[in-house]
Amino acid sequence: MSRRRKVAIWLLVLGALHGVVLCAGFFAPYDPVEQDRKSPYLPPMRLHFVDMRGQFHLRPFVYVLQLRPASFDQYVEDTTRPRPLKFFTFGDRYRLLGFLPSRLHFFGAGDERIYLLGTDAFGRDQLSRLLFGGQVSLLAGLLGAGFTLLIGWCIGAAAGYYGGWRDDLLMRVAELFLALPWLYLLFAIRAFLPLTVNPLQAFFLIVAVIAAVGWARPARLVRGIVLSAKERDFVRAARGFGASHLYLLRRHILPETSSVLLTQAAILIPQYVLAEMTLSFLGLGVPEPVPSWGNLLSNLQQYSVLVSYWWMYLPALIMVPFFLGYLGLASALQERAEAYKIQRRSFGSLA
Amino acid sequence: MELLLKVENLVKRYARRNFAGARQEFLALDGVSFAVSAGTTLAIVGESGSGKSTLASCIACLETPTSGNLWFEGTNLVQAAERELRKIRPRIQLIFPDPASSLSARWPVFGILVEPLVLQGKLNRNEMKKRGFSLLERVGLSPDIAWRPPSELSGGQRQRLAIARALALDPVLLILDEALSALDCSVQAQIANLLLELQSSLTMTLLFITHDLTMAAHLADEIAVMSHGRIIEHGPSAEVLRNPRQEATRQLLAAVPRLPRAPLPAAQQ
Amino acid sequence: MMRYLLRRLAHAFLLVIGVSILAFLFTTLAPGNYFDEMRLNPQIAPETLVALRTQYQLNRPLPVRYASWVNSVLHGEMGFSFAYNTSVAPLLLLRAKNTLILTVTATLLAWAIALPLGVWSAERLGQFPDRLISWSTAALLVVPDLALALGLLVLALRTGWFPTGGMASVDFESLSSLNKIRDLALHMALPVATLVLSALPLLVRHVRAAVADVLDAPFLLAAEGHGIPRRTLLFRYALPAANPLVSLFGFSIGALLSGSLLVEVVMSWPGLGPFLLEAILARDIYVVIGGVLFSTIFLVAGNFLADMLLYWVDPRIRSASTPG
Repeated sequence: MSRRRKVAIWLLVLGALHGVVLCAGFFAPYDPVEQDRKSPYLPPMRLHFVDMRGQFHLRPFVYVLQLRPASFDQYVEDTTRPRPLKFFTFGDRYRLLGFLPSRLHFFGAGDERIYLLGTDAFGRDQLSRLLFGGQVSLLAGLLGAGFTLLIGWCIGAAAGYYGGWRDDLLMRVAELFLALPWLYLLFAIRAFLPLTVNPLQAFFLIVAVIAAVGWARPARLVRGIVLSAKERDFVRAARGFGASHLYLLRRHILPETSSVLLTQAAILIPQYVLAEMTLSFLGLGVPEPVPSWGNLLSNLQQYSVLVSYWWMYLPALIMVPFFLGYLGLASALQERAEAYKIQRRSFGSLA
Repeated sequence: MELLLKVENLVKRYARRNFAGARQEFLALDGVSFAVSAGTTLAIVGESGSGKSTLASCIACLETPTSGNLWFEGTNLVQAAERELRKIRPRIQLIFPDPASSLSARWPVFGILVEPLVLQGKLNRNEMKKRGFSLLERVGLSPDIAWRPPSELSGGQRQRLAIARALALDPVLLILDEALSALDCSVQAQIANLLLELQSSLTMTLLFITHDLTMAAHLADEIAVMSHGRIIEHGPSAEVLRNPRQEATRQLLAAVPRLPRAPLPAAQQ
Repeated sequence: MMRYLLRRLAHAFLLVIGVSILAFLFTTLAPGNYFDEMRLNPQIAPETLVALRTQYQLNRPLPVRYASWVNSVLHGEMGFSFAYNTSVAPLLLLRAKNTLILTVTATLLAWAIALPLGVWSAERLGQFPDRLISWSTAALLVVPDLALALGLLVLALRTGWFPTGGMASVDFESLSSLNKIRDLALHMALPVATLVLSALPLLVRHVRAAVADVLDAPFLLAAEGHGIPRRTLLFRYALPAANPLVSLFGFSIGALLSGSLLVEVVMSWPGLGPFLLEAILARDIYVVIGGVLFSTIFLVAGNFLADMLLYWVDPRIRSASTPG
């Protein structure tokens, strides 16, 4: 398979995954903050296609859950009350992509509540919270990675191009940032910022903090590329035509950094999403009631929850397909960069 | 004939850090002095590591010498400000040893060719197109390679392209840093003849850097021999070839493979 | 040799100082301090707060605070903890020791597994065992540490094979020496397992790549021709030549330290992690600075060790740094 096709496929996969999260309002049946105090810690409702009489239905359905007699948190399916799934139904109001008001949902069960991934202590639908939480976590990761790469790019390019004492100074500072284990640095920065903030501020705070932590490694990589590109003959030739520094950077040197930046992006984004999850899990990130993948897991710190309600663990695994997608993308990009390098090297040796 | 270029006591020192962190210094040019008259060809000959390429870079204003003077058309290049240098650089053009690395792999042939014109910004698109094609013709390249990537050209074609590009801004001094060394023998001859022809028709001054003494004699009026960052011998080519005074020059002569005495073959058809 | 050592040492020292300054700089960004909580309490007079602030020097300019903090470090105190009302150093040292136990064990174990696995994989590049290992490491790589930690915790809770938190059982003191070690090992098992599992995939991949590169080298072929046994060949000739590995060692220490932060919190291991978290939530600045500094010292020390290892192993650096 051609390398370009590989990259395209992974991009498609990631695009689909992100797309579902982007349209969380559509795919999620309910509002993530809506509580249902009558149904705390409901286990996930199983989808059935064959009913009690052995008849196959094309439309999947679930059974309403009832409390087992003489128990306060054990549920059984009430097989006398099947509830079919309805697709493309109208339900709670939401804003698609943040601004289009809509009431159309991918699926629902009419007036009945359907919980495909169970509920939490407040009876909130975990599936909806998972989808909306993804918006927060993924956005934090994407924005954070974007800013880090921007900062690292600028600093690395400056260090590599100007060289001399500027290069030494910038790289020493980068070493400082690299000398700290990243989670400790993240904590330290977060420590020195206000603890009680509203969810929106908390979000931007996290993004800023995450972005401030990781610029050093991309900066070093970009610096290396700029340093070697600067000495390439075609760059020197352009200088010979009277090119200004800005022109050289813009037209010749910085385009060389594009492949490294893309690969770094594919590597950093999942790490940053994970960083947000870690912060929120520990209570230093996005606060309740706004869902994020991290704070969906935070009540798992109570062992009783961890043991009794297994579906609360699921958000921990939601990163796996995303990680997989980004890993595949990063590998495919690295392969392409290697191949291009080899191609260029052999181009140079032809006489 | 007036002097176009006068080099006085040029010194260039490099400071490096090796990967254990220790500082090491390297003296590339150790007080080089010579002069070139307008319209002539000077060949600078020496073995690898003698400092020839450093000299070329310094004259082309791509490196700053550590000390000394470099007089070009009345200006001292060593002391000129960056803005002044930017205006002077187009008048001194450098052709690099490796034809592939001096051409950006990402652009098509025509883009590479007109880049100097684009940088100068004095011509409009049509004028640039005309000039580009006329340059291609001048160096003997066919116009239908204009939109190919440089990887599809042969070594000789790439070097012609590099020369065409260098000519775009009408330089008065053309420096050829081992420009023929990477090419096959027959192609070397072709390009050498092209250069001679261009020099006479465009009245340029050529600075020809090479380790091939025979080629130097064929192309240049004067030869300067470099060794360990210094000029050890300088004189008219015939003189230097017949009566080499320094041991190093004799060794260079001895290194050239002996072929029957005959003029170099003209361009192959 | 000494010159190189001293130079790297000075470098490490400057790094630690730089980090401490950086950490201090961050305090200027912080609105709010330890006493904000108290401010909300109507029973405490504002004058008391001001007095407390002066007592703890929170109202002095930054360079002065830094200077007095450095002074405190030189006296072995490392500043003052507001929450515990004592100097920071003894608190941190105890916790740091626990974190070290965890991290060092995990690092050694991870490398002890990764090296043979990686070499074995590199030898059989492209064949079934190699592919199996590649797939398993990829599978492990995509599972976040958090999921691993929580998952192992569930395992412990369900099966009861391992204790589910802490570092020692309640009756630790009364156990015999052998049982003490056994008790410690049982408590360490889960956290170490999490750390090793999270670090393993990247390590194995890098070892495999580095060794695969080296296996092609002519000098190995020559050594084989001399009749040197396979195992010696791999571990005494090929491995040291795989240069990037030693710098990977330094990098892996940093990753494991960060990882240990989370693992300690989840598994209630009494190390720097939970302590730091607590201090952050309580705005106990000097503890936070001290904790960050400790982790940096560990990392820098680890990298220094890696540098020394590299020097010992790679003759190129040895000759490059000796004069002559």
